[in-house]
Amino acid sequence: MPEAERDITQDVETVLFSEETLLRRIAELGAAISRDYADKDPLLIGVLSGVVVFMADLVRSITVPVTLDFMAISQYTSDSPSGTVRITKDLDHSITGRHVLFVEDVIDTGLTLNYLLRTLRTREPASIQVCVLFDRPYRRLIDVPLAYQGFELPDTFVVGYGLDAGGHYRNLPFVGVLKPDVRR
Amino acid sequence: MSVMRALPIKNPIVCRQDISFSHPSEHEFACILDFYGIEWRYEPTTFPLEWDKDGNVVEAFSPDFYLVQQDLYVELTTLRQKLMRFKHRKIRRLKELYPDVNVKLWNRKDYERFLERFGMEGRREELVGQEALRNHDA
Repeated sequence: MPEAERDITQDVETVLFSEETLLRRIAELGAAISRDYADKDPLLIGVLSGVVVFMADLVRSITVPVTLDFMAISQYTSDSPSGTVRITKDLDHSITGRHVLFVEDVIDTGLTLNYLLRTLRTREPASIQVCVLFDRPYRRLIDVPLAYQGFELPDTFVVGYGLDAGGHYRNLPFVGVLKPDVRR
Repeated sequence: MSVMRALPIKNPIVCRQDISFSHPSEHEFACILDFYGIEWRYEPTTFPLEWDKDGNVVEAFSPDFYLVQQDLYVELTTLRQKLMRFKHRKIRRLKELYPDVNVKLWNRKDYERFLERFGMEGRREELVGQEALRNHDA
């Protein structure tokens, strides 16, 4: 079948979190954030690219004024030239004195989140909290306090709703497990 | 056994460039910690686990990594899964004798998931298991 006609939902063996389940929980997170950040005009920050799906639904479930910003960082590769994380797209806003809510799609080892929070804290925000949709705690190396969290993922490879396999499947509206032959 | 005997032994600190990692998976793990600015030590502590009747240490355990700010030891085992039972027993014993020590044991599956997380699943043969060790030694 031509790639353009292929329905990626057919690549999924099992749906773990349906779109309805995801949106219901995100609405609860949005309500909690609206309550906690009333009159604080928080700045929501996300790291490209996985977070965009979650961020789009989360921000629309928040009822108090917020602003949005995004950053991007280099991924580790064995030939990473500098040997350290590089910020490839920095924030457009200053966060000094702002109440920052850092939004992530998934936390695993905590290495990336820890690095980003350390970096952002040097810019002296008034406060900084973390909202994570998916928690995968099995290989956590760095404990990061999570003010808001959606779901705990099972210890298996999943895709959808921002989570990818080789850059694909982020656009699935649910979270699921790929068929074994597709993974191979 | 006397509680006095259950004292960790601090090993000499080795400079980063002089560390001889015993497996390629450990070298890559160290590079990833460096990348994210995590302060670590390689096998900085040996924990005696068993003593003979004369008080000599007959079994000890030196976890591979110590993450300084996190106060966390990490042991990586990507070799035969038969080793896991042995490692689990050692860690159970370590926790009995040194209850304040935080230690995590990563098995082959943990390490493979870790590689997937960084898009490096294609480097399994180079980094995981006995095959990686053979390539490394060759």
